[in-house]
Amino acid sequence: MSKSWLAQNTFHYSEFRDLEHLVRIKKQRKLTISLCLPTLNEEKTIGKEILIMRSELMQRAPLLDEIVVVDSGSSDRTLEIARSYGAKTYEAINILPDLEHYMGKGENLWKALYVTKGDIIVYLDADIKNIHHRFAYGLIGPLLMNRQLKYTKAFYDRPISTGKQKMRPTGGGRVTELVIRPLFSLFFPELTQIIQPLSGEYAGFRDLFQQIPFPIGYGVETSMILDIYDKWGLDVMAQVDLERRVHHNQSTKALGKMAFTILKTFYNRLEQLDMVDIKRNLYDEMIQYNMIKDSYQPDIYKIQRKERPPIIEIPAYRERFDDGLKENKIE
Amino acid sequence: MEQYIKNLPTVFRTIKSLKETIITNIVFMGQTPATTFHEKNRSEIFLKRLATFRVDECSKDDYNNPIGIIRGTSDRKPPIFLVAHMDTIFGSDIDHNYTVKKNTIQGAGILDNSVGIGVLLSLPVILNALELRFESDIVLAGVIQSIGRGNLRGIRHLLKTWPTPIRGAVCIEGAELGRLDYYSNGMVRGEIDCRIPITGIRSDSSRPNAILMLNEAINQILELRLPQKPKANIVFGKISGGFKHGKNAYDASLGFEIQSNSDKMVKSFFRDIKDIVDGLNHENDVEMNIKTISNTSASRLKFNHPLVKSAGVIMKKLDLEPVSQHSESELSIFLSRRVPAITLGVTRGQNCHLKNSKMLIKPMFKGIAQIIGVLIAIDNGVCDE
Repeated sequence: MSKSWLAQNTFHYSEFRDLEHLVRIKKQRKLTISLCLPTLNEEKTIGKEILIMRSELMQRAPLLDEIVVVDSGSSDRTLEIARSYGAKTYEAINILPDLEHYMGKGENLWKALYVTKGDIIVYLDADIKNIHHRFAYGLIGPLLMNRQLKYTKAFYDRPISTGKQKMRPTGGGRVTELVIRPLFSLFFPELTQIIQPLSGEYAGFRDLFQQIPFPIGYGVETSMILDIYDKWGLDVMAQVDLERRVHHNQSTKALGKMAFTILKTFYNRLEQLDMVDIKRNLYDEMIQYNMIKDSYQPDIYKIQRKERPPIIEIPAYRERFDDGLKENKIE
Repeated sequence: MEQYIKNLPTVFRTIKSLKETIITNIVFMGQTPATTFHEKNRSEIFLKRLATFRVDECSKDDYNNPIGIIRGTSDRKPPIFLVAHMDTIFGSDIDHNYTVKKNTIQGAGILDNSVGIGVLLSLPVILNALELRFESDIVLAGVIQSIGRGNLRGIRHLLKTWPTPIRGAVCIEGAELGRLDYYSNGMVRGEIDCRIPITGIRSDSSRPNAILMLNEAINQILELRLPQKPKANIVFGKISGGFKHGKNAYDASLGFEIQSNSDKMVKSFFRDIKDIVDGLNHENDVEMNIKTISNTSASRLKFNHPLVKSAGVIMKKLDLEPVSQHSESELSIFLSRRVPAITLGVTRGQNCHLKNSKMLIKPMFKGIAQIIGVLIAIDNGVCDE
């Protein structure tokens, strides 16, 4: 296993804090950049995320050309708040409405490719409590400054907000360490150099995203890494230390469901790559148990196995983006 | 000044167009914890952002107050100070991540004083967008060690060491919009600590109880006769002590403040309270002592001072009803050094000193407009008499 990738393709966001320089390169390369925030009931964090990005990376330094929110059907005021701070907002169900509708983060990311205009797309989770514009420019910087790079992924410290206005200094990343890293170690040791493969913050060129399939749910981050690795290799990827991201702690059961989805996605990819031969179909249900009154009751979580094809295969998308993006085509 | 008032609708539009930057500044300031004596991180971010706004000079004074100076057009006019305190009561173990909604921002310390310091930080951008230039240098000072045990050390030091006269000053506080403070009471903030020494083997019930001893002190203080003139007041603001419900308390602490518009009266009452403490100490087997946490002198502008009058006019033009109270904050240090100064509030909100403090966004634009109006008035000479 080559360990040089870790040394050469790992950056710190502060290397890219000269925003004027980034804007100059962006202009020289005639690139446009879209920020996409997939949402589902994020009214507590969405406003801050949009206004900081607008202030710092649109008004003060024109690095971003648009901020787009793609929502899975929030029942709170996520979209109203997002609009009030100037983001373009879409409900995923209304994008490419002729296609069958699914719900999930991956679905939002995939559909965002249709409604955004940028040559570079930055995807950030919308629940970042300590949002700072470094989350975007840190991911954009390597893509602008190094023509070889086509995809950047975040990693960071993960303090947990325990919900009572108190912070725990460390934690998180359990699914990464207990599920993803062991799997990478078994099948793709090179990928273990990616410190947080499940981080929800990444950026890349449209030409890359439009050529890969998107699982509609949690598995999207895993499949994205595996697909990019398979198609273009590790050298088009980089990772950026964003230092600190505060997130809500999730219950072990919720993480179990996430792990289940990721495992399914992973095995699916292993089969496609002819790396394993599973003799029978895997089940789609994660079964957990809750004690209700005096007996254990199963809590069944059924995952949707759906996966969107590379969006370049969708005629409506090709019509929309037919002429663009050739300059950044990934060979 | 008249021109500014005439242009208020345009001023509003311009300030509102900078909403994202102003709120970003408030959030970046507020989300960086800064308890008194631990303001370093917040100060550094304040200075870095001032520098990115291309403020002419950005530095710390030798007490580490972060300061930005917007150079004026005249080298003869003394500078005008705009100050806001950097420190808050919330430690770094408290979640400082703010929630921004359509009309509100919520989080620890937002009203006291993240919005004040965030607005101060935004003023270079706002003044630039309004294309306002001043004869005086404008000194933007985020002062450290202000509240509680800080005892206004930051502002005291800044003014003590400032090399030139100061033309006038505006102190910016988050709440409450409509506030127009122009006088400070004399004040001593003190603490009475009571400790029960553990000597030999004594049953718990035979030991004095620290809480009851403080109760006795309170009773005796309440018996002091407070005059109507000069006005005086004693506030019991904090109390703590004890170990658990079923045990006599071995220690207890009482925080109080003596306020009066006469420094002499404040000193006199402090002596009286000290006598009470000494008496209780002498008569009981306890260790009770009194200490001063902070103090300010009584000082004021007159109601008809041109600065107060013009601030009132600006506020009325903005449909704000000025409300004045004594303020023992940065204001008192300016006034005690004979620098004309007022304190203004930026916005309205709820739960000012709680973790879930919340500010309203919309009134803030008026708050900013009044600060700029007063700044113009000072630059036009209302403090020059």
